[in-house]
This record gives sequence, structure tokens and C-alpha cells, in this order.
Amino acid sequence: MTGAQIIFIVVALYTLGSALMVVTTRNLIHAALWLVSTLFGVAVTYALMNANFIAVVQVVVYIGAIAILFIFAVMLTRKDMRDSGPQMNKNWWLGALVAVLVFAGLAFMLSGWSGFSKVAADLPSGFDSVSLLGEALVSPQAYVLPFEVASVLLLAALVGAVYVAFNRK
Amino acid sequence: MTTPTYTDFYTLLPYLILTVWACVLLLVDLFIPVGRKGITAFLAALGIAVTLGFSITQIGAESVGFSSMVALDGFSTFANILLLSSGLFGIALAYGYTQRFNMVRGEYYILLLFSVSGMMLMAQANDLIIVFLALELLSIPLYVLSAISRKLTSEESGVKYFLLGAFASGFVVYGTALIFGATGSTNLAAIFAQAAAGVTSGLLLTIGAALLLVGFGFKVAAAPFHMWTPDVYQGAPTSVTAFMAAGAKIAGFVALFRVFATAFPSLAPELTTILWALSAVTMILGNLTAISQTNIKRMLAYSAIAHAGYILMAFVPYGNAKVAPTAIAAGLFYLVAYAVSNFGSWGVVIALEKAEGKGLEIEDYAGLAKKYPALAAAMTVFMLSLIGFPPTLGMVGKFYLFRSALAGGFPGLALIGLVTSLLSAYYYLRVVVNMYMKEGDPEIEREPWLALTTGFTAIATVVVSFVPQFLFMLAYTAVMR
Repeated sequence: MTGAQIIFIVVALYTLGSALMVVTTRNLIHAALWLVSTLFGVAVTYALMNANFIAVVQVVVYIGAIAILFIFAVMLTRKDMRDSGPQMNKNWWLGALVAVLVFAGLAFMLSGWSGFSKVAADLPSGFDSVSLLGEALVSPQAYVLPFEVASVLLLAALVGAVYVAFNRK
Repeated sequence: MTTPTYTDFYTLLPYLILTVWACVLLLVDLFIPVGRKGITAFLAALGIAVTLGFSITQIGAESVGFSSMVALDGFSTFANILLLSSGLFGIALAYGYTQRFNMVRGEYYILLLFSVSGMMLMAQANDLIIVFLALELLSIPLYVLSAISRKLTSEESGVKYFLLGAFASGFVVYGTALIFGATGSTNLAAIFAQAAAGVTSGLLLTIGAALLLVGFGFKVAAAPFHMWTPDVYQGAPTSVTAFMAAGAKIAGFVALFRVFATAFPSLAPELTTILWALSAVTMILGNLTAISQTNIKRMLAYSAIAHAGYILMAFVPYGNAKVAPTAIAAGLFYLVAYAVSNFGSWGVVIALEKAEGKGLEIEDYAGLAKKYPALAAAMTVFMLSLIGFPPTLGMVGKFYLFRSALAGGFPGLALIGLVTSLLSAYYYLRVVVNMYMKEGDPEIEREPWLALTTGFTAIATVVVSFVPQFLFMLAYTAVMR
């Protein structure tokens, strides 16, 4: 077992453990914090796979924005931060069963895939995924149009959201 | 690194003009005082008119741009002209309505422009990424427009539309992902090439196409994805409903056709059966449910569902190269016929609508013929057109649709269409009976733009039905490229 594999196993266990805590812990704020920890574990997994840019985006967007938004939403909508209701309802075993079945099905499907047992080739030296991604986003041969349309879309959504949220009474 | 070429820009010219216009108008609107938002409406209409002019110059032009992510051809130009005209009607209907119900906002027209630009992009989209973005660009402004009057019903309508619309968009994204997984591309032509080469997983591709169909089915209000339609159409301000009913339907159908005809001809055996069933269920369900409605907005909403079924009929034989062009041209023709009757009938509804949602029951139309004969005559024309009764555009449209269904070898579907059309006469004619044979004292609003829209659409419905060949040939040439 190589060093990278050992690190991967540790990170994977850490991520899974955190994810388990997200759904089992009783306190909503604690659950949100465990979610931050889970997302961080995923970011480390990306970094281990040489996807450095995605790892950074994962930290900036998911931890920096979305998880924090969760915490804000909880704080702004709940009077009492100590939520003590049970996390499980009576259908928990059904959910667990579906999850296990989906996992088993996916594992079965993937085990037949050639990429599953093959070690990926090393990236060529000097491979710069960030600049390739950046160029793809602004190149007319690639994705400049979806990129620009997405920004118009966000503008329209922004105008709409401000209009809906802004009470002009 | 290269720069976009002239062809790239030319291909997307109408969309670009409208988007830039909308963005500039967003800034200009800030300097227009609150009491004079009519200027914004005028500027928005001017923007659409200018774009319409450019679109008309593009008749006959064909090109692809941005590494064939968007296409310009007869089909997209036909759709663009139809969509831009819908936008003009939408503004004409909104102008007086927003003033009367105290919801004059510059954002109304700007969001409408964004929505029209999304619809046009949808008509030109040649890549599933663009299809998805265009779908969102047309939908998000519509969600906000549905909620734009701050009444409870309007906000409920907006939230319902948003939640269900977001759900439907999820289907489109999932379908796109599966198709990408199956073929390794989101470009429609490349998907077709991969599928034809037989290197793809057929099952994944079929599931992906079916998921796309669910998403589009939602947008065009086809059963069984129609649940949102009556509530949203009833709750939204009537001027928004009129625009939404025509625009979203046109864009949804146009994209549906391009995606299915370009990318999935190989799936025709499976999808034809599904489309057949969707079309039949939509016609039957829409018409049967419309019978029991007493509110005119709900009735027209169910009628919109039923008409989605009729238009779907044109898609059933899409895999049959011999029949498909005529059938699709019939679908385009019917979209024009529906859009015209749709704007006219919603215009009449707007004329009779009162504050607090009054004046929207079918009984409120009693006595209209005696007091306002011209308006009653116009409404009669629209109702007859929606039934498919001569001499109206709707009748010619249905004739072309049924004929293409027969030519495609689906006599059962044509029969269902015919029977449900007869059925629909019951609830459409009830409006006419109320107007002509019952006593009442309705009040209407006299607004010049409203009168112009209603009059124009009524005359067009009748006059064009005498020279339908002209419009049909336009549609046919558009489809043949």
C-alpha cells in the first residue's frame, strides 16, 4: 500500500464519518458544521486526484458560501438554536435500504467497467488544468456562448429576485 | 485563442440585439420617473420591433455559430418572428392592464424582454447546454412576472410555477447528463452521429431523451405534466398569462422539435409511441376538464392544455422522413393559429376583468353582444377558432394537423382529435351563448392598445383562414430549410 492510498483511506473514512454525523446529530447547527467538515473531506479527495482547481472551488463555493448560507438560514429562521427533535422518523430503515441497494447496484455496475481496475495514466508534465478551463470558457470554439448566456441568466434572476424580495409598500 | 467571427454574431444577431437592448433598458429605466413608465413599455416594444426587423432580413439565411452551438435556419427564423410578435402583443396587452391594476413597473417589460430573448435562444439552440440555459432564461423571468402584482393569488401562482418549473428543469439537466454519458457530446448533430454509429448505450440515450421530454412536456403544459397550468394561469396577472401561454408554448415546441428531429431520429420507434400517448392523453384530459370550469381563466388554461395535445400530434410521426416535414409545418401553422387566437381571447378577458378578480366568471359575459357587439363578435371568432370551426385559422390548422396524422398512419390519433374538438365546442360555445342569448350588463375597459390587439387578431384569424396556403407554405419552407 502506497502512501497516497493510506491518505485516501483516512480521508474517505473521515468524510464518511462526518457525513454520518450530519444526518444523526440532533442539533441543527452542529449538523451544518459537520457538513462543512464533510465538504472539506471531499475537497481533499479532489486534491488527491490532481483536480486542484475543483478542490479550491469546492472550498470556496461549497464551504465558503453554501454551508455558511445554511448556517445563516438556520440562525435567521429558528428562535431556538438547540433543536432537540429526533432526526429519524419511522421510515429510516426504508431510506437506509434504498441507499444500500443503490450503492450495491452502482458498485456492481462499476465493477464491470474497465476503468475501475486500471490505474489512471499520469498527467503530462506542464499540464495546467486551470488555464485550459479558463481558455475553454472564453473561446468561441468552446464555451464562450454558454458562459455569457449564463451571466445574462443570472442578471435576469437577480433583477427578479430583487423585485420579489423588495417590498415597495 | 481566436475571436468570434462575423458568422458567429450574424447567426445569433436577433438574440444579441434583444439582450443588449434589455440590459441597456435596465439602466435607462432607472432615469424614467415612476409616473411615466409607459416610456419603458414603448422602448421595450421598440427593441422588439427593431429585432423583428433584423429577424425578417434573415429569412432564408442559414448558418451555424459558436462551434455549432446555435443554428440559424428557416425554422429558427420562423420561430423568432413568431416569438417577437408574441412579445409585441404581450406588451400591448400589458400596457393598459398594468396601469389599471396599479402594477406599473419598469421591470415588467425588462423581464419580458429577457424572457423573449430566452425563447429565441431556445429556437436557435443546437446544443443541449444552450437548450438548458435558454429554458432557464425564458422561465425565470416568467416566474417573477407571474408574481409581479403583489396580490396573494399572484404570488401563489409565482411560487407554484417556480417550484414545479425548477423540478422540471431538473429533469432536463438529468436527461442532458445521461445523453452526454451515452454519447460523449451535448451537440445535437454529434449525438445523432454517435447514436447512428451504434457506439452508444441505447438504454441510457432513451432514458435521457425521455427525461428531456418530461421537462419540455412541463413547459408546454402537456398532460400528465400539466398540473400547474390552471393555478398559475388563473393566479398570474392576465397580461402575463396571455404572454406565457403563447410564448412558452411556442418555445417549448420549437425546441422539442429541433432536439428530437436532429438528435434522436434513431429513437423514433420508442418515442413515437410515447408521443402518441402523450398527445392523446393531453387532448382528452384538457378538454374533459375544461367542461366543468366556470372561471374563464381556468377554462382557457385547460384549453391551453388541450391545444398542447393537438400540437403534439404534429410530432408523433417525426421519425418518418416522408411525412415529418408536412407534419411539423402543420405544427408550426397551428402554433401561429393558437398564438393569434390566444392573444385575442385573453385580450377580451382583460377588457372585462375588474379589480379583486371580478368579471372573470363565464356568467359575467352575459349580455356582452347587445352592449358591445364588436367585442362579442371578436370573442366569438376566437372561440370558433379554438374549437376549429370555419371560417377561422384554428379550423385550417386542425385540418392540416389531422391530415398529417392520417398521412403518418395514425388514424386513431386523428379520430381522438376530432372527437375532442367536438367535445370542446360545448365549453367554448357556452361563452358565446352567454354573450348573445342571456341578459346582462357587463362593463368593459376601453384601452386603445387592447382594442388594437383584439381587433387585429380577430381580423387576422378570419382573413388568413381564406388564404392559409400562403402561411402554410411559409411554415413548410421554414421546415425544409
